[in-house]
Amino acid sequence: MAFHILARFDGEAKFAVVVFVLLALIPAALGGYTTYILPQYMCFGILAMSLALLWGYTGILSFGQAGFFAIGGYLMGLVLSGAIPFGGFVVALLLAAGLGYVVAALLGYFLFSAGVRDAYFVIVTLALSIIVEQLAVSQSQLTGGWNGMFVMRPEVDLVVAKVNLYGDLPAFYTVLAIVALVYVLLHVYTRSRHGKILVGIRENEARLTSLGVNTAWKKTLAFALSGAVAAFGGALYAMHSGFVSPSLGGVLFSTEVVVWVAIAGRTSLLGALLGGIAVSWLSSIISAWTPAYWQLFVGLIFIVTIVFFRDGVAGAIAQISRKRRSKT
Amino acid sequence: MAVLGILIDATLITLVMALAASGLAVVFGLIGVINMGHGAMLTLGAYLTWAATGAGIPFVPAVLLAALGVGFIGLLLEHFLIRYFYDRPFETLLLTWGFFLVSTEVIKIIFGPDFRSVASPLPGTIEAFGQSIPAYRATVAGLSLVVLTTIGLVYKKTSFGLRVRALVQNREVASLMGQDVSMLYKQVFVAGAFLSGLAGALIAPMLSIDPYIGNVYLVRSFFVVTLGGLGLLVEGTIVGSIVIAGSETFFSLVTGQVFAQSIVFVFAVVLLRFFPRGILASRN
Repeated sequence: MAFHILARFDGEAKFAVVVFVLLALIPAALGGYTTYILPQYMCFGILAMSLALLWGYTGILSFGQAGFFAIGGYLMGLVLSGAIPFGGFVVALLLAAGLGYVVAALLGYFLFSAGVRDAYFVIVTLALSIIVEQLAVSQSQLTGGWNGMFVMRPEVDLVVAKVNLYGDLPAFYTVLAIVALVYVLLHVYTRSRHGKILVGIRENEARLTSLGVNTAWKKTLAFALSGAVAAFGGALYAMHSGFVSPSLGGVLFSTEVVVWVAIAGRTSLLGALLGGIAVSWLSSIISAWTPAYWQLFVGLIFIVTIVFFRDGVAGAIAQISRKRRSKT
Repeated sequence: MAVLGILIDATLITLVMALAASGLAVVFGLIGVINMGHGAMLTLGAYLTWAATGAGIPFVPAVLLAALGVGFIGLLLEHFLIRYFYDRPFETLLLTWGFFLVSTEVIKIIFGPDFRSVASPLPGTIEAFGQSIPAYRATVAGLSLVVLTTIGLVYKKTSFGLRVRALVQNREVASLMGQDVSMLYKQVFVAGAFLSGLAGALIAPMLSIDPYIGNVYLVRSFFVVTLGGLGLLVEGTIVGSIVIAGSETFFSLVTGQVFAQSIVFVFAVVLLRFFPRGILASRN
């Protein structure tokens, strides 16, 4: 039965099942600190997927994804601390996604409808990131300013059972399940008619316009969805890490996401997810003993990727497997 | 008189901003390289000045050395990477960001991550119009005018400037007329890097220097150049700087400093949307 379902999936989806099973085994295999910290890297993976959707599929690069991530994070903090006097964890997640969607849709339509594109759009998204960081600093009565905001982990009342997210193990599997759900939804979305239009915009926007597609509107929707996913990831991250600070929305973090996605492969959602997890995990391990050289190494790999491997590691793997298949 | 003081303050801030953006105006405005390493070049200029003055070299030759040093780094960057990507401007954005990542880490490894400071060569103030104006800041503002005028003269009045204008207008025809296009690209890129290094060196005594100091100016410089209009090296840079830096002085009169910066960025995004080719360009 399970085999039949698997057979209907394409290559990436099969691989995804393996990845999520392996992730689910990690607490049993490594346990301890890894069980605690890995969900936060999975949230970074969600952030990376939000960029892959926008950059890899639609061809729009954003240097402001962390801005949405921070918006989601602060919203979660405000809801769980009671500053926003309604809702709980689940409502806050949905609110975060909704807020990210609305902010991105407004900004996106404002710019795309006037034909703002490419480098100009990148600069605006950089500004967005700076604005979010500055607002987080200057509105300290809400956000705690430079000191950041502490977030209490909640107890979640699912219909069948109560899950206490204080424990690292329930928190791990809750985050993993949510990440898997986000991946599946995005995967289905990219294979839908709308997802194919986005790829069309990337490949030849003028042709799609001449075919009667309102590309400004489609780009707005793609940016809005990407903003929603990033803010959702940020909200989940805030719940898990228990802390949000202005630098979470800053330019440096925003561009770090670009580096993960470029290296891992911008045209693969799974690649971006794994890239976000792997690079941030490796960063925290290696940075503990040689931060500068690790960052230097990442920078060099980034340049090599841009020059020689446009589609990153995932693209290189796909190419190798295609070559193998054509040989046999 | 408070109004006069505010006007002088806004003028100085505008001119320092224009100096900081001048290198990007050349590199992005003329040859279309989306130089995300512009901030890193400013940072390098500041650190090289710090290193040179620390080695006992007087301030003025130290600034020139720093600018030449950054120009040389720009030459290496152009020669080994950028020149293969002039046809793909979007890739230059990513590559120059890679340059930023690498150069920032090299700075941290060589100079350490702590704050550094360069002693101001003119620590006093000038008393004029009943105001006391910081002498060094006023000097840098004056130098900014000198630099912009020089850029304008070179671009409009010399044979090199004529060849660059030919390149900007029509690369194919310039090439057919016997211009060495790839050499012109290289010269313009290195000139831009030199200007960024010079700006970083001159700004160094006004700030405490850390490995990310140039990024303060990176996004602002992009807005200056795009709002001023690509290719309008002098008038565009000044108009853009008034919008981005000068206006902040006025906004911070009514609200906090950090919030004023946010307002300026929102203002800049709105302007960019309605004047995508620059405030000056769309008037014609």
